[in-house]
Amino acid sequence: MIKGRKEAVLGLIMVSPAFLLLLIIVVLPIVQTFVVSLHSEDGGYDLSRYAFLFTDRLMRMNIVFTLKVTVISSLLVLLVSYAMALFMSFSSGKLVDLIRKTYMIPLFIPGVIATYGLINLLGNHGWLSRMLLPLGIALPRLIFDEKGIVIANLWFNIPFTTMLLTSALAGIPASVIESAKDIGAGRLSVFLRVIFPLSYKTFLVALTFVFMSVIGSFTAPYLLGPNSPQMLGVSMQQVFGIFREQEQAAAMAVFTFLLCSVLGYFYIRSMAKDEAARM
Amino acid sequence: MSIQLSIRGMAKRYKTGEGVSDINLDVRKGELITLLGPSGCGKTTVLRSIGGFLKPDAGDILIEDRSVIALPPEKRPTSMVFQSYNLWPHMSVYDNLAFGLQIRKKPKAEIRESIADVLRLVRLPGAEKKSPAQLSGGQQQRVALARSLLLKPAVLLLDEPFSALDAKLRHEMREELREIQSQTGLTMVFVTHDQEEALSLSDRIVVMNHGRIEQIAAPQNIYNEPESLYVAQFIGKMNFLEGVVEADVIRVGELAVPNAKRLAGPAAVVAVRPEDVNLDSGIKEGLPGAVKQIMVLGHYAEVSVNLGKHGIIRSFQSKDAAQALSLGQHVRVSFAKVTSFPKE
Repeated sequence: MIKGRKEAVLGLIMVSPAFLLLLIIVVLPIVQTFVVSLHSEDGGYDLSRYAFLFTDRLMRMNIVFTLKVTVISSLLVLLVSYAMALFMSFSSGKLVDLIRKTYMIPLFIPGVIATYGLINLLGNHGWLSRMLLPLGIALPRLIFDEKGIVIANLWFNIPFTTMLLTSALAGIPASVIESAKDIGAGRLSVFLRVIFPLSYKTFLVALTFVFMSVIGSFTAPYLLGPNSPQMLGVSMQQVFGIFREQEQAAAMAVFTFLLCSVLGYFYIRSMAKDEAARM
Repeated sequence: MSIQLSIRGMAKRYKTGEGVSDINLDVRKGELITLLGPSGCGKTTVLRSIGGFLKPDAGDILIEDRSVIALPPEKRPTSMVFQSYNLWPHMSVYDNLAFGLQIRKKPKAEIRESIADVLRLVRLPGAEKKSPAQLSGGQQQRVALARSLLLKPAVLLLDEPFSALDAKLRHEMREELREIQSQTGLTMVFVTHDQEEALSLSDRIVVMNHGRIEQIAAPQNIYNEPESLYVAQFIGKMNFLEGVVEADVIRVGELAVPNAKRLAGPAAVVAVRPEDVNLDSGIKEGLPGAVKQIMVLGHYAEVSVNLGKHGIIRSFQSKDAAQALSLGQHVRVSFAKVTSFPKE
């Protein structure tokens, strides 16, 4: 009994540095930001900063724009990454080898450099535009537009998401797929009934990562996005840095955090369900 | 009885140089045939080729007189029970069993009824809602077997299905499989490296070695009349003695055994099962030897006799007969039944 209590105390002592660090750099700033966001203009505490997010036309546009870019980017990233992961896991050949060797390259290029590279490539007077011009093809507006942000999000998120999904697919034994084929399942049935269910947890993790990374992104939307509407990250910087409205910026940060929490909730709920099913 | 599965001139070569060649085999409808051999002999290659998971380099595979060589696994009228069960871990037992029937667009009521029936057949009634993780190895293999049985395949393929189970369970599963086979009348091709399993289960055994078929015969014929030295070495316990061919007989020291196969000689190998080795101390005929070791193995004993230049020979004796012997005792060895092979 005493030995068990000693072990419990020792465990608490061992975990406390990590817990304290988490408390100081994550939990306290969140609480502090939330408290700041409740400060009203007349010095009191209310929800007026949150009300402003939904009553101001420009702010509403920013929220809708952010959600639109985030949803489109997340869907495209997952679609492309899943397709690449499937291709690399279940096919062979020179093309597969080439993709395997190169798909991680974007991870090693700093974000600012990659973003300027995209401006040089896809801008109105960029390389692609100049190459297509002799053919009489005019490139649609990609830079300083939501399309530019989506393209940058693909560049930034596809490698890591593909890596996650590839490792999940590698964990599915070939024999399990063989047994599905053996009972007569075609490619689509094998994917829908066996491969996807066995990799959906990682899919959910990937979705959470991409969603959070895109919704909170700053560099690409700042350099590639339009002046209006703006992604919440860019708008937050303006409200905080240019308009000097710390309380409003705090409300925007908490709102963004809540948006991410929604996805986090679904992820945790799914994990809890799986855990309950295993018990 | 009609031929359900026919393999004609099948060959498959891997990059490592291993593979199979010149595989010719006819399996009758309702027959349980076993591919038996050591690891790497090619038995799984043959099985996976029948199932469509490997494409042979040459030859043809016919099921119910139709070539299936160009068909992918999902289009073949076969079903395989895998060594590692291969149940889908995210599905319940019911879903595991229903998947194949749903693909065949069977009505829900029929699926439910069939699953209840097949679970009774494999002695797992009421296990529908369980997940594979809640089942023991033997139960998982029963579900895997049920999954294949439900599809009523023209040929059921079993790839060492009991090798992951403990000895007692393996024995039980063998009996159950044999019972299921007699109830369903399914044609089965069973792969194993366990000769006891092959001898106890099969209607016929295909003994394979280095990618080739050594012998196809009923278990008792494989045991009693091995056609090659390899089969004689591989199946059961066997003593081998070198002999000299002298027309109608093969001479092993002072003992002459019939040259039934008309071997040309000059040298031959005489093979004798331990149960066919007689030991006698009161006669003058036979090979002289001295008892070297007596091992009592329950209701019988294994007696090793030193035959000098002919080596050591093992004999199975009754417990009482073994008790009458003593270490170092001089005995005469004779054979009740022998088989002979050319010396390689």
